[in-house]
Amino acid sequence: MTVNRPAEDKEGIARVRQDRSAYSEDGVDLTLVRWMLSLKPAERLQVLQQHVRAILRLRHDNPHL
Amino acid sequence: MTIPTYDFVTLLQTFAEHQVDLIVVGGVCAVLHGAPINTFDLDLVHSRAPDNLERLLGALQALDARYRDPAGRKLRPQLSHLASTGHQLLTGTAGPFDLLGTIGTGLGYPDLLQHTVELQVGPGLHVRVLDLAKLIEIKEQLGRDKDRAVLPILRRTLEEKLRGGDPDR
Repeated sequence: MTVNRPAEDKEGIARVRQDRSAYSEDGVDLTLVRWMLSLKPAERLQVLQQHVRAILRLRHDNPHL
Repeated sequence: MTIPTYDFVTLLQTFAEHQVDLIVVGGVCAVLHGAPINTFDLDLVHSRAPDNLERLLGALQALDARYRDPAGRKLRPQLSHLASTGHQLLTGTAGPFDLLGTIGTGLGYPDLLQHTVELQVGPGLHVRVLDLAKLIEIKEQLGRDKDRAVLPILRRTLEEKLRGGDPDR
């Protein structure tokens, strides 16, 4: 299914995708780094905990993979 | 097949309740500093002082800790194991964790203490965590593939923290 977005949305998305400051020279996604840094340490640990549980659930639900 | 338990907060809470002196290192340490990585390891460098080892044994008992043994035997760590510089790869009711006598170039708890910060990781729960610069230094020294793979993210995280004046670095 194709989603038709207004022209200004497409331009905005294109700008974000071309924003070189989103990545470091060695390819690290700085938007993720900045998002994690916006959280408190306890929240960062919760993020990790949720990721680990999600991965384990995916593995559990797809034992053939 | 059941989904294994991974509960980092319960592990850290249990060690705190037993007043165990330890330092969080490795991947969880990196995450607590804001690095966007995933890890299944909780790596801890514990003080090998005799009184701390006694408290540690109490915490391990509460966690029903045993070695991660593929054969499924319930082998429990003894005081002599915990007093060594070696690595004890354990699991228990709150999931797996590693107790490390030393890391890097033979650095133990007293060597690392000056390179730590205390962070709040839950309500009333504070843990001592290796600072990010020292974690990077140790991983650079080790130079294993798994350390090199994560180094760019750790370095950029430290840069962003320094740029933003993050108080918990």
